[in-house]
Amino acid sequence: MLSALILIPFVSAGIIGLISLKGNAPRNIAIITAVSVLVINLILAFQFDYQQESFQFVEDISWIEWIGLNYHLGIDGLSFPLVLLNSFLTLIAIYSTSSTIQRPRLYYAMLLLLSGGAAGAFLAQDLLLFFLFYELEIVPLYFLIAIWGGARRGYAAMKFLLYTALSGILVLASFLGLVWVTKASSFDYLSLRSPTLPLATQLLLLAPLLIGIFIKIPIFPFHTWLPDAHVEASTPISVLLAGVLLKLGTYAMLRFAVGLFLDGWVYLAPWLAILASISALYGASCAIAQKDMKKVVAYSSIAHMAYILLAASATTRLSMTAAVFQMVSHGLISAFLFLLVGMVYQKTGSRDVDVLRGLLNPEKGLPVTGGLMILGVMASSGLPGMVGFISEFLVFRGSFPIFPIPTLLCLVGTGLTAVYFLLVINKVFFGRLTEGLAQLPPVKWNEHVPAFVLLLLIITFGIKPDWVTHWSEVQAIALLTGG
Amino acid sequence: MTDFLLENFWVIPIYSLVGAIITLPWSLGIIRQTGPRPAAYINILMTVVGFVHSSIIFNLIWARPARQFIFHWLQVADLDLTLSFELSPVSFGALEVVTGISLLVQIYALGYMEKDWSLARFFSLMGFFETALAGIALSDSLLLSYCLLEALTLSTYLLVGFWYAQPLVVTAARDAFLTKRVGDIILLMAIVALSSYGEGLNFSQLETWVNGNQLEPTIAAFLGLALIAGPIGKCAQFPLNLWLDEAMEGPNPAGIMRNSIVVSAGAFVLIKLEPATTLSPISAHALIIVGTVTAIGTSLMAIAQIDIKRALSHSTSAYMGLVFIAVGLRQVDIAFLLLFSHAIAKALLFMSAGSVILTTSNQNVTEMGGLWSRMPATSLSFLTGAAGLIAFSPLGIFWTYHRWFSGSWDVDWWLLLIVMFVNVFSAINLTRLFRVIFLGKPQVKTRRAPEVPWQMSVPMVSLIVVTLITPIAPLQWPLWLSPNSPLSLEQPGLVAQYATPLLLASGALGCIIGSTIKVRKAWSRSSNLTLRFFQDLFAYDFYIDKLYAITVIAAVSNLAKLASWVDRYVIDGVVNLVSLATIFSSNALKYNTSGQSQFYITTMVVAVGLLLWSMINGQWSMVTSYWSSIM
Repeated sequence: MLSALILIPFVSAGIIGLISLKGNAPRNIAIITAVSVLVINLILAFQFDYQQESFQFVEDISWIEWIGLNYHLGIDGLSFPLVLLNSFLTLIAIYSTSSTIQRPRLYYAMLLLLSGGAAGAFLAQDLLLFFLFYELEIVPLYFLIAIWGGARRGYAAMKFLLYTALSGILVLASFLGLVWVTKASSFDYLSLRSPTLPLATQLLLLAPLLIGIFIKIPIFPFHTWLPDAHVEASTPISVLLAGVLLKLGTYAMLRFAVGLFLDGWVYLAPWLAILASISALYGASCAIAQKDMKKVVAYSSIAHMAYILLAASATTRLSMTAAVFQMVSHGLISAFLFLLVGMVYQKTGSRDVDVLRGLLNPEKGLPVTGGLMILGVMASSGLPGMVGFISEFLVFRGSFPIFPIPTLLCLVGTGLTAVYFLLVINKVFFGRLTEGLAQLPPVKWNEHVPAFVLLLLIITFGIKPDWVTHWSEVQAIALLTGG
Repeated sequence: MTDFLLENFWVIPIYSLVGAIITLPWSLGIIRQTGPRPAAYINILMTVVGFVHSSIIFNLIWARPARQFIFHWLQVADLDLTLSFELSPVSFGALEVVTGISLLVQIYALGYMEKDWSLARFFSLMGFFETALAGIALSDSLLLSYCLLEALTLSTYLLVGFWYAQPLVVTAARDAFLTKRVGDIILLMAIVALSSYGEGLNFSQLETWVNGNQLEPTIAAFLGLALIAGPIGKCAQFPLNLWLDEAMEGPNPAGIMRNSIVVSAGAFVLIKLEPATTLSPISAHALIIVGTVTAIGTSLMAIAQIDIKRALSHSTSAYMGLVFIAVGLRQVDIAFLLLFSHAIAKALLFMSAGSVILTTSNQNVTEMGGLWSRMPATSLSFLTGAAGLIAFSPLGIFWTYHRWFSGSWDVDWWLLLIVMFVNVFSAINLTRLFRVIFLGKPQVKTRRAPEVPWQMSVPMVSLIVVTLITPIAPLQWPLWLSPNSPLSLEQPGLVAQYATPLLLASGALGCIIGSTIKVRKAWSRSSNLTLRFFQDLFAYDFYIDKLYAITVIAAVSNLAKLASWVDRYVIDGVVNLVSLATIFSSNALKYNTSGQSQFYITTMVVAVGLLLWSMINGQWSMVTSYWSSIM
């Protein structure tokens, strides 16, 4: 069952890429694929037992025995919300792709490869297998940025590739070191969890892993690839990048850094909490000064991802659950914001806050996009009733008893979120519509469908947060007890 | 039937939310054929339903003890977040005021906003607004109240920014949001802390927890201060006071709500939080200081304003300052009474101001005059509203002050002086406003000024009646929150004996100054330099906004620029430099067979550097134990 989540996208990618299809066929196949993956996920969701600590729907096939690589898949409360998020956002990304995109076959094939790769990484319960998927997902993303990106796409894509490749090497180095030190016979996650290593060993292995993960999340000062990648990537790719791919970093952090090296993690935790607050404040400060709407959202992503590090560093029962929740919440909200910024860019041809003005105008502007944007901004700055509030509240509530000062600093970061986003809203959507923008093409209602669906989820989970938290609660606690 | 209504009391706030959601198709422009009117009618209908429902319950539960209804919202790990509602005469009394004023305001808006093309959007926002306000009235949980305060912040932003095409509106909306947000974030910090230290976040649990808490004095002081930050922002208290006067750029009906009920909602939360202010003496003192500074400062600001709405809104901050002082002195009943009498009278004043603005298309009082004979209902409203706010006439605020100074507690002279100060300046302000607007000779803009349509005059006249009966309301429905009720039978102290005559005298003094001063001349810029200095100082709000511009705002914006510069040139610069160097050196090394050895040398240098670092920093044992563990 779990293999299907990886294989279906891969097979469709092959079909789209290899068979010569005309017209809308690649898009339709991609949508059908994404829908079927989502349906499988929903079926799994009904069968999933969230009271159970161990992995479920396990598939374990020995692959390359002499290396110790097994094709070992499974889901638990930590990965399943992310797998679900991945399949959902893939559908959103495919749906919101322009139907007149250049080289559709290659594009959709790459997109599906990306999605399948990410799903594989979330499902893999073997360190080496995780690494393979972790690397695999870089390649299609590189092409998606380098081919369909903006003006400086070459630079951005190369930067992304170098950074994440380095991240992969560091992660691999740590995994290899772990297997070497424990003299384990395979890279199996569960068997590697059981032995407790001395603190010094843990720290030596944890250090490269953490740097690799921090590049991926990204955490200051390893973040500079992200704003470039977001600015150059097209809208659907930004949605996936922010919504899913960054989560690979935080997922690896919880699963491997906390899961495998708990003592070392706790030893470093005070510093990690400080790093998280620096990253949050730094991202927020940078966002205030940006002129490109997409850069604002990108820096805001850096700030919001830092809260996950804060929660993880606190290692309380509550904060671990909150970390997973914050991943889902950030995935939904950042995807929503990128979609809307993309809509503005598509209709006006600009994302510059000094050029755009008065887009809320009901007759000639983009009133619905503007209204949604205001809601998205509010969700991101943690307005109650939407998912951003409760996830951040749980993060702060979870980490405050352990690290009060970093938590308060991160709360200041939340306050700054409102500052930079309101500046954007005020400049871009309020005011009088300028002459140059007076003849905008109208937005059709079907173009807004992805945004409305996301908004619905953002509000639903904001009002019923336990629909997300109950998935991961048991598992998040199990991470801390070594269960 | 009544049981059913009683059991489902929590739906009252939701009525107006439903109204707001139903009318979305009109606000979004999906339904255009019918015009925006149906949206307004639906929202008014929902408010009527809410008002009727709450009135029935108010009568049912009258004189019964309070009951709490607890909903378990979220249980995660060891955290149990509950939202609780209070079914008590006090909460429903507050709800009556909210739904009642909201109903009148919406009918008023029907006339005021008649020609606005986005009438439907306005009414949707009002529905949302009312939901948050009604929720705060019923809430017994700090978390729920916080959420609703935030919802108020959002809806204030949207309502102030209603006419978003105008530049002043844009900055006003932004400032309103950000200023309140400062208070809200600090309050959120306090909630996070309180939830970590305390038992729960319900107001009724707060008092028991506060009495038994083991916090360090510093932490308790910070916690107490942080808790009052939210109400400071909401009630437009110094130093977060300027948003309210800027917010006057928004539509007037929303301004009525803001100045009468929204600020009261913030103060209502403060009243509920009162037990927490006893956490540390510092927080109680802070409340009194903030209240005093605001009451005196904004009283002075108000008399120098020439914008009718700004003059009234500064006075709102002043009265809220008195509420803060009352809470700081733990006299919550007085705070509650002050809120009530102020809310009604201020709503009436703002309705009257709105009528003047709509008829004359002008907010500048120096261009008005002679409206008395032209707009009798409006003039009468202003007069009644003013009378309700000055302790000279035997209306609401007089009786509140009277109770304050003859309660079963000791009152100090300073308190009497502050109240007299506010009273004098309030009297000067309202009297001079009345004179410039309604008396005197008509000017160009007030010559042709017909009375407003019935949608506006009916709510005004109804509120006149309500204002006239406010002194009776606390006798009819004595909603005392604390056991030490403000009605005392003991022999009053020295201050109390002189308080009432002194207050009346101060009101009279204010009225006399206000009616003898040369209004037109005095409010154009004076040629006397000293006078002009003070006039400008007050009119420009003590230049607090300038102070913010060179401190907080400059700090944040420079920090942002610095961070952005560092990001671009330092951090990204290093990255680009490394990559450039790599490209350059690899190009150079292509032709160099000794490249391998250089690589080794670099590696060794780095490794030796790391070893040195670990030796210097005392991490050496880590390295040795690592090797020993492997061997």
